[in-house]
Amino acid sequence: MAFDIDKYTATSVSVAWQDLDFDEFESNPLPESTLRSLRYMCDIEYHTVCYLRDLLVTPSHKEADVSAFMTMWNREEFWHGEALAAVLGKHGVVVDFDQLKATRLKLGWKDRLDPIKQSLLGNIVGKDFIAVHMIWGAANEWSAVAAYNRLADLEGHPVLAELLRRIAKQEARHVAFYATQARERLAKSKKAQVLARFALKNAWGPVGSSVMEPEEVTHVMGHLFAGDEGLREIRKLDEHISRMPGLEGLTIVETSMKKYGVAA
Amino acid sequence: MPEQPEASVETAGGGAFPAPHFDVRDFARTAAGSHRERLGLESYRSARLTDDTLRALRYLQIIERATMTHLRSVLVTATHKDARITAFLVTWAYEKYWIADALEQIILAHQPEGAEADRSPFITPVERTIRESIVANIIGVPMIAVHMALGTVDEWLTQAAYRRLADLDGNPQLAQTIAEFLEVKERQLDFFEAQARFRLTESPRARSLTRKRLARTPWPIGAKAEPDSETRWFLTHLFSGAPEVVDEIDARVDTLPGQSGLRLIRKAARL
Repeated sequence: MAFDIDKYTATSVSVAWQDLDFDEFESNPLPESTLRSLRYMCDIEYHTVCYLRDLLVTPSHKEADVSAFMTMWNREEFWHGEALAAVLGKHGVVVDFDQLKATRLKLGWKDRLDPIKQSLLGNIVGKDFIAVHMIWGAANEWSAVAAYNRLADLEGHPVLAELLRRIAKQEARHVAFYATQARERLAKSKKAQVLARFALKNAWGPVGSSVMEPEEVTHVMGHLFAGDEGLREIRKLDEHISRMPGLEGLTIVETSMKKYGVAA
Repeated sequence: MPEQPEASVETAGGGAFPAPHFDVRDFARTAAGSHRERLGLESYRSARLTDDTLRALRYLQIIERATMTHLRSVLVTATHKDARITAFLVTWAYEKYWIADALEQIILAHQPEGAEADRSPFITPVERTIRESIVANIIGVPMIAVHMALGTVDEWLTQAAYRRLADLDGNPQLAQTIAEFLEVKERQLDFFEAQARFRLTESPRARSLTRKRLARTPWPIGAKAEPDSETRWFLTHLFSGAPEVVDEIDARVDTLPGQSGLRLIRKAARL
């Protein structure tokens, strides 16, 4: 099914939380481990712009639909960051732009070279590389939907659950875009399939693992995806990915989770 | 404040920082979205815009929608590390998207029923990005001043272009829509200009680098997405009858620390 970009842009809004009773967090505060996971998720949402830049150094951005989507997507993710920051703020955790900057500065030289590598690679392989971005984005957005819904279930906090489900709903629209794009582009090109398989197998990691400290990744992934139920979620993600043309049999999520000591 | 060649503004920890009066969160919260409901498109049926106006609007649409291309060259540099600036740019891109969308709607309203919007791929010079990324990362933080100054000058130029276009055509609905755009753009200018002035004042390196970059930038930003002949036509159409507007923009550029005498717009418009 085609993704209607005009409908998407026309209905793209910043996630609302002003109508939710955040005072509930004063009488019913969230536990430390949940705040730690929320902090991680909040940072990742704000850092979306860093992923955007990786996308932009390849030909992907030249296509009008992709460009329109990226504009809205980035803004929605920024607002997810703001919403989660508001929850953290209610618990005395202040997220400010300077701290975010510090995280980005820590990425250092390696990060600086990444867009160059990506650009070289992306420009050599041209249009087929867009498919890689799209499946990559789909994998990340599927993970985000699963993560938000899992946290909503695990925590069972009425206000938090409602906010997380609203965020997850927007993430699901991002999935629809990325997955539609990925499916079409992979189906059209054998070369794109080979490239996507190679990139996912060798370079994919849980969302945020390239920006955050490994112990934070382990905490969050363990918190959300430990146990049998967590494993079922992880396998569902792999099923989504492996149903894409040419990606049969991939288990990138389970494999990378194991690396962080989850789903072992 | 001592000048540190590598870090300059960014290590002014605890003290002054660029554009303190500009509340980025408030800007994001009150961003201007779709203009569609206020475009008064049906009025163009009885009062069509001139062909020249439509041609200029198409040019503006292309440069307004080229945000992702511009963001690309900005984000591959140290500028992307500054979370306040990226938060601004995310919203800036969103506002420009909707300005481009409004322009597209106005153009479509002048075409036969059922005409399709232009969804052709954008034209962008790719190979330069790699080189740009390497050079800009060696330069580091002073590059942020360059990007903020580019944004400032571009706002001055495009705002003047919109005003001239409204004057030249004289269509009241277009004038009203352009007034709405100018309000949106004024806020964007506020951020760019305050950032640029602060960073240029703080760092001699930023001043000399910005001077070089401004001089070799094809104006307006995004001009590379169009053939040179179209840019020439655009600038001539708008400014050949109003050289004083061009001089006024150049005089404003002169007020940016270390940027006097560049005559950027006069050279671009070849007046």
